[in-house]
Amino acid sequence: MFDTALSAADLIFLAKGAGMTIIVTAISVAIGTVLGILFGVIRVQLGAVLAAPLTFFLDIFRSVPLLIQLVLANAFMGMVLHLRFSGFTIACMVLSLYTAAYCAEIVRGGIGAVPATTRRAARSLGMSWWQDMRYIVAPLATRVALPSWIGLALGVMKDSALVYVVQVTELLKSTQILITRLQEPLFLLMICGAFYFIISFPLARLGGYLEKRWSND
Amino acid sequence: MKTLTMAAALIATTALAGTAQADKLDDIIASGTLRCAVVLDFPPMGMRDENNNPIGFDVDYCNDLAAALGVKSEIVETPFPERIPALMSGRVDVGVASTSDTLERAKTVGFSIPYFAFEMAVTSNDASGIKSFDDMKGHTVGATAGTFEAIALEKQINEWGDGTFRPYQTQADVFLALSQGQIDATVSTSTVAQANVKTGNFPGISVVGKAPFDTDYVALFTNRDEYGLINYLNLFVNQQIRTGRYAELYEKWVGGELPALTVPNAYR
Repeated sequence: MFDTALSAADLIFLAKGAGMTIIVTAISVAIGTVLGILFGVIRVQLGAVLAAPLTFFLDIFRSVPLLIQLVLANAFMGMVLHLRFSGFTIACMVLSLYTAAYCAEIVRGGIGAVPATTRRAARSLGMSWWQDMRYIVAPLATRVALPSWIGLALGVMKDSALVYVVQVTELLKSTQILITRLQEPLFLLMICGAFYFIISFPLARLGGYLEKRWSND
Repeated sequence: MKTLTMAAALIATTALAGTAQADKLDDIIASGTLRCAVVLDFPPMGMRDENNNPIGFDVDYCNDLAAALGVKSEIVETPFPERIPALMSGRVDVGVASTSDTLERAKTVGFSIPYFAFEMAVTSNDASGIKSFDDMKGHTVGATAGTFEAIALEKQINEWGDGTFRPYQTQADVFLALSQGQIDATVSTSTVAQANVKTGNFPGISVVGKAPFDTDYVALFTNRDEYGLINYLNLFVNQQIRTGRYAELYEKWVGGELPALTVPNAYR
């Protein structure tokens, strides 16, 4: 029954695809989180009216499907700017901004969840804005925002499957290549799913662990 | 006022001149990489080997083109419907993707002269004694239902008024039936016929000749307005045939009688 043409070389090929998924996700989530914190803080500090252009810019990344963003970004770089970026660079750029747009919302929500009275008390004690942010807002907001951030990171990892349109051979694309050659779709998709699970499970558990550790004790 | 008009004219001229200079042929040579759109689920034109590297007639053709230009080649896998969008969105420079040069497509992209032709070939069971297309008269023949060749073959059988036509669900079913003697002959594209005979899964059958149905000519394509590159592609296809490379690749990937790439009684 388990008669398959899948060879060890093919498994290594799949593992390489999984490695590409991890690299693209890691870079995008890292850059996206830094940018997201920056954008989130700017939005809170400037207020709704002054931050409107930034909000609008980020909303574009949240509301246009990722697949279209990737294709358009690739076409824009090549045809308008005449720059020949590799598919990997484009994928990381688009995914980073996509992550940043969602992360900015999470950060904004986290900062909003810190009681205004607590922050006023901090400022009354003579803390500067920076000290208030660093010692009061950051620890409290992180606890609130962490579960959503873990969800975002897992989401970006799965969304990274779409970067195949800019010629990045990640996990799902490598699976499709094998399906075309070996004609064993169900078996190969099961293996692909297992790979995704192996990647996401530790991240999900890490989130659960941190949540437990940081809960009211 | 005059100065202003002059300035505007000058700016306009510069802008126009700027765009006119950007020639794709130069861009490819300058970038050092030729990106070809290739369909990789269409054996033997494009497929993958056991290490999942792209191989096939189109892959070799792209490598030859890159070598002629003195650049590296990059195979960009594109499914059939993605070939032209990939060019339009600047993901590839040239399509080497077994693309039929239809007039409808030529409204969007610029085609070279044909670099390959899918001819219809007759494959027969050795025991039937069929040696050519006309020998099929009076025999039981079959093809994959709904395909161009099945419709043409059924029409031909009706015209002869002698013999039976049987439709099958898949191409593999047709060759199985042929090998088992349920039908005496079939018509399919020459690449498919040669590939199936070569597999050895269907003993006792061989490709015996051409069928006089429409030949499917396929051409290289690039952006419609890139005349410099299209000229280069035309010369390249011509050189491939002249140097015998076309015949060599055909023998390597398909085998059998080399299809002619010219249309009788036409200039091009």
